Amino acid sequence: MRGTSLVRRLIIAVILSQLLMAAGLLAAGEWFTRRQLLTAFDTALRGRAATVAASVRYNESGPGVIFDPALVPPSADRRHPDRYEIWERIPGRTGLIRVASSTPAPPVAVTNAGGYADFRIGGVPYRGLLLRDLPVLDTEEGLRAPLPQLTVYYASPTLDLQQRVTALAIAIAGSSLVLLLLAWAFAAWAIRRGLRPLRQLASQAEQISVHNWAFEAPDPARTTAELAPLASALERMLAGLQAAFRRQHEFLADAAHELKTPVAILKSSLQTLLQKPRQAQEYQESAEAALEDVERLEALLARMLQLARAEQYADSGAPAEAPVPVPATCEAARGRLLPLARARAVTLRLEDGAAGAEGELAVAADGEELELVWTNLLENAIRHTPAGGWVAIRCRRDGGDAVVEVQDNGSGISAEELPRLFERFHRGDSSRSRETGGFGLGLAICKAIVEAYRGAISVASQPGQGTCVSVRLPLAAGGGRQPSVAEQRLEV
Amino acid sequence: MRVLVIEDERRLAENVAHGLRENAGYAVDIANDGEQGAFLASTNEYDLAIVDLMLPKLSGQDLVRRWRSEGSRLPVLILTARDEKATVVSLLNAGADDYVAKPFDLGELLARAKALIRRGKGRPAPSLRVADLEINTVERTVRRGGRVAHLTPMEYRVLEYLAHRPRAVVSKEELLEHLYDYNWEKFSNVIEVYISGLRRKIDAGSEIKLIHTSRGQGYALRDESDAAAGSGGGG
Repeated sequence: MRGTSLVRRLIIAVILSQLLMAAGLLAAGEWFTRRQLLTAFDTALRGRAATVAASVRYNESGPGVIFDPALVPPSADRRHPDRYEIWERIPGRTGLIRVASSTPAPPVAVTNAGGYADFRIGGVPYRGLLLRDLPVLDTEEGLRAPLPQLTVYYASPTLDLQQRVTALAIAIAGSSLVLLLLAWAFAAWAIRRGLRPLRQLASQAEQISVHNWAFEAPDPARTTAELAPLASALERMLAGLQAAFRRQHEFLADAAHELKTPVAILKSSLQTLLQKPRQAQEYQESAEAALEDVERLEALLARMLQLARAEQYADSGAPAEAPVPVPATCEAARGRLLPLARARAVTLRLEDGAAGAEGELAVAADGEELELVWTNLLENAIRHTPAGGWVAIRCRRDGGDAVVEVQDNGSGISAEELPRLFERFHRGDSSRSRETGGFGLGLAICKAIVEAYRGAISVASQPGQGTCVSVRLPLAAGGGRQPSVAEQRLEV
Repeated sequence: MRVLVIEDERRLAENVAHGLRENAGYAVDIANDGEQGAFLASTNEYDLAIVDLMLPKLSGQDLVRRWRSEGSRLPVLILTARDEKATVVSLLNAGADDYVAKPFDLGELLARAKALIRRGKGRPAPSLRVADLEINTVERTVRRGGRVAHLTPMEYRVLEYLAHRPRAVVSKEELLEHLYDYNWEKFSNVIEVYISGLRRKIDAGSEIKLIHTSRGQGYALRDESDAAAGSGGGG
């Protein structure tokens, strides 16, 4: 995988969040521990200062107080002993008189509001407490004389506290590091595993090519909430593309196949002509025949283009059109085919159907395309109806649909042939002989156009009795002119 | 030689027939659907059938299958717009001898037709030889001892047919059957006219006579001295 990797990015995100958590844990742990230890240290410091103050005795025999340094409890840390200094305030006198101090004495330090001061002695951290106006505890009963008050300054090294805090920090950091490594490994495994459906989908999608349209989303991708829409969209798109591609391919193959015979005729005609020198009249006749062949070829190509155009909307539906009155298109189609009907001695009539035909019979479609459908159907009907027969076109309303029927009393279509009737280039076997002049595209074109407008086309036929093709198209929502359909009969 | 063309596309059938008549000098009958073709084949003698695959009523493949099941040895050349492998294989397996895909080259079609007729007669070489008589069926020229003999088209057709069946006695009826298409009035005495023409142009001036008449039976093209020398040796 080149470029950015989703897995790598997710792992980095996990590691970063873990690091952030470890750092927070470390800071909080250190702060909380230090506070706890400091509280305990301060309590102990106050106790020691009070002890020192308590060891000061009232001097019965003279002024001042007596202090015995031996009574001071030993320091917890022998290497860095505690330091203290004691002063007394004699009532009625100003200033403090120094009573005693450790050797060496604690340095002067600025205390905070609580009376504490932090300082260093020879690089060792100390914390001192200044207690003011302490009474001398060792007094005798009933002694009224004003007593001196003591001020005690006591400092202990905080080295041990600092070391404990540092040890805790190292413990937290160390365990965080181990957890981080574990998290890394787990995240890498879990993310790779979690992204497996995506990888499978990608590798499946990689197999798709112009020659291989088969795509079935792997089940894990299909059942993953984030991938399911992608998988189904891919499947839908490919199925649609494949269908369109196959239609194109089939059309091309059919077209190539159908073009072979007319090309063979033309080619053999010209080759025959060139076999030996001929009379001018022979050239003339052959050129005329070849021209006729080319015209037929041209007609075939025009039909194929009509079909290709109609079929391009087979899936998506035709673009929206203004409503077109159906009866008018039927009339126009009948008008076009009257000459053919006359030539073949077939009666061609336009009928209106049921009584409900007065309503607006307009469908949203291209008028010329509708006319093409009726023309094709009528032409087919006329060609398959013997002289003296009749062909009728009628339109009516049926619920929300316009229904157009083309009926004849011609040769009919056998039951085996009915299902294949709308296939491209299908010619009923018996009628395949070229007298009917068709290419087998008319009904395929009709079907494609009707379906593009979301309609349906169906055929009912009785061999020997006749055929009825009915086209059903949804009526336009509004608009359309009042149809002026009157029954017309034309005897030919 | 007489060829049956079965093709529903009339213009194509006429072009093929025209080519066969003009280029190869064959007699040609045309049928426009499978059933008509089957009828003509059963009532006339043909040396080759050229059959379209997609025919109304009876398809080319069904036609071939029917002929083969009846034991017919008629060489069959299929015209097809489908040249997919499967179609060709099933055609040949049905008993067809060869096929040409549309749109075909007329020259190729004619060459294949001639080759199939030669094979059908058991004479695969395009040049036929009887003693010092040489008939080139591609160029339609005849030489006797190196000298070119100028024959009329009908004389050539009679000679070519006899040369395809050397030594056999061919009846007048057989000649008529194979040299004229359906539309001709058949008069047996025209054959005698062509035979005498051939004798004049080929045998005159040569010591060895090649054209022989078996009275009441027909005609044969053979080298009698050769037959006498190698009696018993066939072919």
